[in-house]
Amino acid sequence: MRFHIITAAFLWAAFVESRKIRGISSSYKRFYRERKSFLCIDGSKIIPFEQVNDDYCDCADGSDEPGTSACPRGRFYCTNLGFRPHYIPSSRVNDGICDCCDASDEYNSHARCQNTCWNLGQKERAYVEGQMKTLDEGLRLKQQLIEEGVLLWREKQAQLRELQRAAEDLQIKLEEHRKRKHEADRLKEQTLKALKAGDRDVRPESSSCGFRHQNSTVSHLFQLLDSNKDGSISLDEVKAKVVLVHDETRVLSEDEALTLLGGGHQMDLSKFQNTLWDVLTRGDGYKIKDAHSAPGGLMSEDPHLKAADRAAEWEAADLKKVEEAYETVNMEISDLQKKLEIDYGTDWEYLFLNGQCYKLKVYEYMYTLCPFNTVSQKSTAGTEVSLGLWGMWAGPAKNRYSQMVYENGEPCWQGGSRTTSVSKDQHAALASGRTQTWSTQSNFMCCVTSANVNPCDIWGRASFTRSLVLPAYSLTGTQIGSDKTIK
Amino acid sequence: MCCWFFLRRMGPVLLLWVAVCLSGSWAVDKGNFKTCDQSAFCKRQRAMKPGESPYRALLETMELTNTRLTLQLINDNNKVRLLLELYRLQGNITRVKINELKPLKPRYEVPDVLIREPPTEPLSLLSQDENGVVLSLGAESQRVIVSARPFRLDIVEGRDVLMSLNSRGLLGFEHLRMRKDTQADPEAENKEGTDPANPAETAKEEEEKVEDGMWEETFKTHTDSKPSGPSAVSLDFSLPGVEHVYGIPEHGDSLKLKTTDSGDPYRLYNLDVFQYELYNPMALYGSVPVMLSHNARRTMGIFWLNAAETWVDISSNTAGKTVFGKMLDYVQGSSETPQTDVRWISESGIIDVFLMLGPTPRDVFSQYASLTGTQAFPPLASLGYHQCRWNYNDQEDVRSVDAGFDEHDIPYDFIWLDIEHTDGKRYFTWDPHKFASPKEMLQGLQDKKRKMVAIVDPHIKVDTNYKIHNEIRSRGFYVKNKDGGDYEGWCWPGSAGYPDFTRPDMRAWWASQFAYDQYEGTMENLYTWNDMNEPSVFNGPEVTMHKDAMHESWEHRDVHNLYGLYVHRATAEGLIERSGGVERPFVLTRAFFAGSQRYGAVWTGDNAAEWDHLKISIPMCLSLGLVGISFCGADVGGFFKSPSTELLVRWYQTGAYQPFFRAHAHLDTPRREPWLFGPENTALIREVIRQRYTFLPYWYQLFYLAYQTGEPVMRPLWVEYPQDPATFALDDEFLLGRDLLVHPVTEEGARGVTAYLPGKHEVWFDIHTFQKHNGGQNLYIPVTMSSIPVFQRGGSIIPRKLRVRRSSTCMEHDPYTLYVALDNRRTAEGELYIDDGHTFNYEKKELMHRKFSFANGVLSSVDLEPNAQFTTKSWVERIIILGASKPSMVTLKTADGENQLEFDFDASMSVLTIRKPGMNAGADWTVTLQ
Repeated sequence: MRFHIITAAFLWAAFVESRKIRGISSSYKRFYRERKSFLCIDGSKIIPFEQVNDDYCDCADGSDEPGTSACPRGRFYCTNLGFRPHYIPSSRVNDGICDCCDASDEYNSHARCQNTCWNLGQKERAYVEGQMKTLDEGLRLKQQLIEEGVLLWREKQAQLRELQRAAEDLQIKLEEHRKRKHEADRLKEQTLKALKAGDRDVRPESSSCGFRHQNSTVSHLFQLLDSNKDGSISLDEVKAKVVLVHDETRVLSEDEALTLLGGGHQMDLSKFQNTLWDVLTRGDGYKIKDAHSAPGGLMSEDPHLKAADRAAEWEAADLKKVEEAYETVNMEISDLQKKLEIDYGTDWEYLFLNGQCYKLKVYEYMYTLCPFNTVSQKSTAGTEVSLGLWGMWAGPAKNRYSQMVYENGEPCWQGGSRTTSVSKDQHAALASGRTQTWSTQSNFMCCVTSANVNPCDIWGRASFTRSLVLPAYSLTGTQIGSDKTIK
Repeated sequence: MCCWFFLRRMGPVLLLWVAVCLSGSWAVDKGNFKTCDQSAFCKRQRAMKPGESPYRALLETMELTNTRLTLQLINDNNKVRLLLELYRLQGNITRVKINELKPLKPRYEVPDVLIREPPTEPLSLLSQDENGVVLSLGAESQRVIVSARPFRLDIVEGRDVLMSLNSRGLLGFEHLRMRKDTQADPEAENKEGTDPANPAETAKEEEEKVEDGMWEETFKTHTDSKPSGPSAVSLDFSLPGVEHVYGIPEHGDSLKLKTTDSGDPYRLYNLDVFQYELYNPMALYGSVPVMLSHNARRTMGIFWLNAAETWVDISSNTAGKTVFGKMLDYVQGSSETPQTDVRWISESGIIDVFLMLGPTPRDVFSQYASLTGTQAFPPLASLGYHQCRWNYNDQEDVRSVDAGFDEHDIPYDFIWLDIEHTDGKRYFTWDPHKFASPKEMLQGLQDKKRKMVAIVDPHIKVDTNYKIHNEIRSRGFYVKNKDGGDYEGWCWPGSAGYPDFTRPDMRAWWASQFAYDQYEGTMENLYTWNDMNEPSVFNGPEVTMHKDAMHESWEHRDVHNLYGLYVHRATAEGLIERSGGVERPFVLTRAFFAGSQRYGAVWTGDNAAEWDHLKISIPMCLSLGLVGISFCGADVGGFFKSPSTELLVRWYQTGAYQPFFRAHAHLDTPRREPWLFGPENTALIREVIRQRYTFLPYWYQLFYLAYQTGEPVMRPLWVEYPQDPATFALDDEFLLGRDLLVHPVTEEGARGVTAYLPGKHEVWFDIHTFQKHNGGQNLYIPVTMSSIPVFQRGGSIIPRKLRVRRSSTCMEHDPYTLYVALDNRRTAEGELYIDDGHTFNYEKKELMHRKFSFANGVLSSVDLEPNAQFTTKSWVERIIILGASKPSMVTLKTADGENQLEFDFDASMSVLTIRKPGMNAGADWTVTLQ
């Protein structure tokens, strides 16, 4: 009720005022109080008051004709009751085009203008309400993005620290393993030397070498199995030392061991030579535990050498594993560091964009923007062209985070390479109710490669910059990771 | 838009063309275009030396009727006979026609260029003997003397020879003949044997040697099969007392034509020349075979009506002389009078030449207008500013550029769409994505009282899914190749056919395609632009059509220079038809011929963003204006390359004072809408576009005058000051009508210009400062970036509309300010023309034409067309009198009575401003200063 009274009062006041002076706002009323004469607002001239709004321009500043089109630099105030008031150039008064929603600019023209202010106002109010909601939502989203950003940042930092710690540990381990490998290698070398020295003693009797060799290896193997050195191999000794070639870890069963011992519980050297030795040397069923292969050459026969060799191999393998782990961790660290070096905004609110990709189809081209990584263009014909790699933020000093630049895209035929700038689009953001909306403006040189000729020769003299304005990308913060909304 | 860009899209497809384009040079590759030496007929004809002509007039064959004289000529070398026809036409024009007496087959006579069969006047025989005949040319003391041996024509007035034909013996007429060499087909041999008509010729021919290029000619990779053999015609004209000749556009050259002794002749052959060079006689997009000659006593014109490839040689006996040499001749009363000799050479057709004998420049304009018609009276809006670019990308782009004009408060009337708006370069269609709802877009413009132009080129994509192509093919409307199939060439769409616009049925069909129900998505505020209508054929010889292509029974060779005119005509007729004959069309063309003025506007093609190109826009449009084509403009800013901000601003300042005012830019140049160069430059451009709009009433009136009389809108100074030799070669300044003198600034960094203010008794008022200057002097005028020197002639009254709005249509009902510039006798005169601005109703006298005059302190307005009917809401809001003295009282008298008017007098500039007289622009009134 009170609102209505105020409106009515205001309407009446406006009516009284505008009866004489068309086209001014209430703040200018004081210049137009009805007197005998009117002083141009710039003070340049005094004219009779009847000459205000008489459709003839007297004042250089146009102040005598706020309500007509007479003055070249005049402006007309649309009161637009119910909607937003605003100024229009007075050249739009009575030009046959409705500019003010209250139709006040076309008071003497053939244009049939409707007063649409109330409708517009209502729409605007609804819109503003929506905007406020959106803005709130947006701010909330932004806060959320910031929080998430901070969390993500911290998480990444922690991850980095962890990785660094792991790297340190690995470094120590690496040293250790290197030492151990070195030691094992040395031991192996020594054993080998010693063995070679011993070997040289038997060499002159090379004619009986085969037999002796066999003999020595049979007894050697027998001794290896005969752990208690009682001259016979027992069931337990077999179970302890013999395994399946294909499954070293499984302990043999009672029956299997019995079979190997030829059904008895004991086996002496001569029986061993004729039965079990054969089985073990064939190497296709059973073998001595931890032996790499069936007993063979001189070196591998030697238990010391074999042990040393095995040890050296283990150490080498271990070292390699540790080295690989170290490398991986270091790579992860440098990746992470690179990512963390990127400026994600003062509150890390843009961090969530990293790792996302957004696609947009414009006519025959598919554009892909992976923030902080790449921009590319793919034609329906299928060729993909890089329009740039992440470069930097390039907004103006006041608003640095309003624009991204991607550089060093695919080179052009007359030199230079494609670059793309991606701008935050505040308007589109508001309009779409998104928290952030980006539009890309790709400035790239035009190159077309054609068979046999290099058209760059013709183009070489001038630089051709083509701007391609793409519709806005809308990146919603709420659906991190999955959202690829495209407006 | 020339060939080379084609590369970008079609490059891989057309390597041959690539080779042509790959000159590596930024400027035109001259090697792509023929010199006279490379054009066999030009080489043959030019090899003829002046001397005794082999032609003899057979006086005994003379027949004189009331309207014409006929006479046979014989070539004593080969005994071939020609028929000379001589007509006296109304309005001091003499027509000379020469054809073979009995050609093997008909030779092409250009149709559709003359607006009617020109009415004749009686010729009378004055005397005759065995040496010749003297005929009287009507009432004046003009006579034509026909000399028999050698044949020669002299046109004489009193004791002065005005013009002589074949005085140097360079008449050449290659008669049609049978092919003699072994390649001739047997049928032709038979025909020859059975053809009793020309026994003399056939006998004689054997003595004539067959030269290279007579029956076949190869240029670069293209061979012209020349089925008719040699068929060139040529004739020389001597102009005693003449040192200045003009016209024969289109060339990128000075207004005053140069002598051609040391180089190639001026060439007239409509060609799509990629990045044309300036100051040379190479052919460009259009041809008007009309030359004007001028000296202080007389102006004349030669109209060589031939549409085939044509070369024009100019020589002068004073060309090499210094000023001192000329002085010496004068002092010593020496030797010869100055003389200019001209020779026209055409590849085929006949000699049909109109000698327009003046004597004043205006007489020549009206004589030419009586033959080919006058400038089409354009819709008023088309005199506003046009915003073009290759290309406005999509509807959103159009919307945002349109909004940009409102935001920066700059008026404009037309926004243009180049080839990219189509669906794959299929004209009459819209790109389904970028221009998905053209009507919506057009309605958006209509709501702001603005308009659009979309391009329609004459090359038609060969695509069986394209309606236009299918219809043209099924109706057999395409130009045919020499073997009878549809001619195909490469252009923007790839393989394209070229409709045969020389056919009336084809043109009627084409026109019908502009109907709103045919051309989908169009409405009344969409107009048309014809580009590439030379025609441009990317893979054709010299980027155009093969000369042996066939237009029904005629070779392309015969009709080449007419093709563009026909395209323009059919399109303009389409726009007229779609409105039921009510609305005036607006069609811009790149190619043109004599008569093209009847169909719309012309622009100077693909220029470049260089100062020289800005400078050349003046003589190029002046030359076109002299030969009837008033609606001329150059791409503001330059098409190729990117202008510096200074150049762009200067170009706007020049273009605002040239008839067709359109900014245009190449696809690969950065955007250059007026507001993209900082607020200061936006303000400069806004200011000069607004100046243009304030002068629209004057422009409109000038175009009405051009439509009525053929007088050029933009004219060289000598047209108004024909006796002042200082004006004869001026082409860095020009007049608009009689009353505005414009001297553009075309030098980079200029601090001032020297303008010649003509007329010893004239005064000129600077339109910006109202400063008064005396005529008959060179005046140094300091300039800043804010404007270029423009003067209003003392003695003139120019109505202007100072309330500049969004578009010209928005200004329809606005009041006028009359600028009355007093001359030394304190008098002035002017006119005001008003109609609805867009229909043909002015033909039904729905118009208002008033005359203002100021004398003895009284300014009055009287009706020039009392029978006409039109009312306007516009009134007179202000009268500004320049060069006035202070009155004590100013009184307005109308039919309603008398009242006193307020006024303001600026004593320092002697400017009297009369406040708000308020009478309707259509009323009779007087304003008296006391």
